[in-house]
Amino acid sequence: MSVSTARAAAPGLFLAVLVVGICLRVPEFASARSFLAVLSDAAPLAILAAGLTFVILIGAIDLSVQSVASLASVIAALLVPRFGPAGFLAAIGAGVAAGLFSGLTYVTLRVPSFIATLASSGVVTGVALYISNAATVTIDERARVYFDWINGSALGVPGYIIVTAVILAACAIVQNYTRFGRYSLAIGSGEAAARAAGIKVGRQKVYALVVSGLLAALVGVILAGRQLSGSPTLANELLLPSIAAVLVGGTAITGGVGGVGRTLIGALIVSVLRIGMTFLGINIFAQQIVFGAFLILAVGLTIDPGKLPFVK
Amino acid sequence: MTRARLQAVGVSKTFGATHALQDVSVDIGANEVVGLIGENGAGKSTLMRILAGVQQPTSGELRSDGQRLQLGSPLDAARSGIGIVFQEQSLLLNISVAENIVLGHERAFMRNGFIDWRRLHAEARAQLAKVGLTIDPSTRTADLSFSARQMVELAKALALEDRVAQDLVILLDEPTSVLESADIEVLFERIRALKRRASFVFVSHRLDEVLAISDRVYVMRDGRVVASMGAADTTVPELHRLMVGRELHAEYYHESSQQPPSSEVVLEADGLSAAGHYADVSFSLRRGEVLGIAGVIGSGREELLRTLFGFLPQTSGALRINGERVRLQSPAAAVERGIGYLPRERRLEGLVMYMSVAANLTLANLGSILWHGLISRKRETVLADHWIRALSVRAAGTDALCLSLSGGNQQKVVLAKWLVAGSRILILDHPTRGLDVGAKADVYRLVRDLGRDGVAVILAADTLEELIGMSHTIIVMRDGGVTARVDAPAGAKPAQIELIGHMV
Repeated sequence: MSVSTARAAAPGLFLAVLVVGICLRVPEFASARSFLAVLSDAAPLAILAAGLTFVILIGAIDLSVQSVASLASVIAALLVPRFGPAGFLAAIGAGVAAGLFSGLTYVTLRVPSFIATLASSGVVTGVALYISNAATVTIDERARVYFDWINGSALGVPGYIIVTAVILAACAIVQNYTRFGRYSLAIGSGEAAARAAGIKVGRQKVYALVVSGLLAALVGVILAGRQLSGSPTLANELLLPSIAAVLVGGTAITGGVGGVGRTLIGALIVSVLRIGMTFLGINIFAQQIVFGAFLILAVGLTIDPGKLPFVK
Repeated sequence: MTRARLQAVGVSKTFGATHALQDVSVDIGANEVVGLIGENGAGKSTLMRILAGVQQPTSGELRSDGQRLQLGSPLDAARSGIGIVFQEQSLLLNISVAENIVLGHERAFMRNGFIDWRRLHAEARAQLAKVGLTIDPSTRTADLSFSARQMVELAKALALEDRVAQDLVILLDEPTSVLESADIEVLFERIRALKRRASFVFVSHRLDEVLAISDRVYVMRDGRVVASMGAADTTVPELHRLMVGRELHAEYYHESSQQPPSSEVVLEADGLSAAGHYADVSFSLRRGEVLGIAGVIGSGREELLRTLFGFLPQTSGALRINGERVRLQSPAAAVERGIGYLPRERRLEGLVMYMSVAANLTLANLGSILWHGLISRKRETVLADHWIRALSVRAAGTDALCLSLSGGNQQKVVLAKWLVAGSRILILDHPTRGLDVGAKADVYRLVRDLGRDGVAVILAADTLEELIGMSHTIIVMRDGGVTARVDAPAGAKPAQIELIGHMV
């Protein structure tokens, strides 16, 4: 087995070892209930991280996903009760607009993506605070029927998990079988060659940020449905875990290597860790330490030193 | 030669299966200027890197004043009095000239933990004086001309003198390739003046210069030293023959299969200009024609090629492709018009090295493998298989990373990419750079085949010989303008000297 296949297989093996390890230590973990808890925790994370994967693959980063998700939750909570399903479209449209804004800033003004998206994150959060009066917006009883596709269930599987599976499958297809997916990989591992092959590199970069904004908004809508409220800070704690999910899954922060499939594994690892640590009785603050250490380790292991003469 | 200041004894260097150097022995005498010549890929640069401690020999050894010398790093080499002036300048452009000269040795100019700028600048001025530069040492390096920077680089190498006991050995890796003739004369004057206290190794592919400045000359070919002689005992034609290793013969470039191009013009430049780079360039390119562009660095040739592929849009004049007037705003626009580009920087612009052969082949025309709007892996593999066989690319399979291919096979993949894209006009920017003789021959044959199929080619070549051998027509550029247009039909090729007169 070559080094690169070993690198690709490592996250999946690690996930298996982690689950088995926790089950041996705390047998109660091996139950349908706790596995469902893991999936519930992983679902929004996986969608957010899938969007980020497209951005990281082209060699950029999106630091605005959590703000976009929060804004979408506020818009959904405000508009769905009033206008019905059109409110969902408005929420998702806001995510697309935020992605377009970041993308155009990044590409046309040549502002590095981490600054462009950090700045949009500020703008987006400001808008969310403004339209929500900086308060949680509760979705009232009568409107809850619009959120049944999230909160209902089919054959015992919660709706939001089915929705997540569909979204991730669509992402995997976009990644592996469309021009955009292929171009993203080419740009991430050789931007100059991609440009010289006639690829409109700027346009693809904007697409990547739009996809990320779109998926972040979907996460906002799903979270709003599950909590039956929207809040301008709803998804704030999700940025670090979603970046961790992408990188732990084996997508390189330098771009060009990885994919949505790996990110799903990464999101599951993050969720198993989070919930497993609670099962193991690890202090909630110590969990953050484990988490940070883990992220550094994962990036250190996924970076291929041969490809990267300098780290800035 | 007096005593040997620096020697390479039986040095070999292999990179994987490639023998870059085989059993090379070279002596550099004290106060001697040694010339080193050879074609691209002959091993000159590898030998220089070994002498400078950048790379280590696989076998054999270096000796300094007869003592065995182990160079693990450029710092070791510096401690032994060996300095190098790189082909691509190694100065940092965003700091001052003085800081560049003492870079890595600032400790000597510290007082109480702070840099003593007055002493540092005095030191820099002293070093600059050695090469005859009187600039202010606090000048930002980026503000100097290219030739002045070359002199600063030399001064930096000479600064070693004060730090080591031995005489210096200065390695000059193609220092003249980008200098104007007046600047070259200044450089040579300095070398002659400095010879009293240093030895020089001078690498160049301009044979007349090597003869003018060197005491002795080594000729390298295919990783070996094939001859060494006193500069006074040889001539440019003899060196050329030794370097190329064969008499010039037409069939190397498949001249007999060079067919006259059709009369159909596919691309036409009319008074094409890019402000600051070139002006008023006119030519026409016909179906099946190879149009060679000759010119030294700074002639505008590079920029003209960049314009034709959409990297650098023209500022005035007209460009017509198949009769239609266009202004190529991006490579994407050029590709849409059926233009393909084989870049000189193959590893950077030619291929995505970490993607598979198949993915690279289809990158410029994913449309050809779409099935209901989605990429069909099956179609991709079939297509890639076809081209791998058609161009006899040696790869482990369609999934092999381009990184794992040899230079010649990588070049074939770049060509195949444009054939997949259906390009009818190909811009070949130094297509044989860094390739060995066999791989070059493959490229020449492919270009002839393309011409027969009606593809039009614009060629910038590594050597004049190659340019003349391959082209139907040659335009010569100098200082941003076209100075001559020369026909080069099969059987009546112009002599190199005819072109050189228009180039410099």
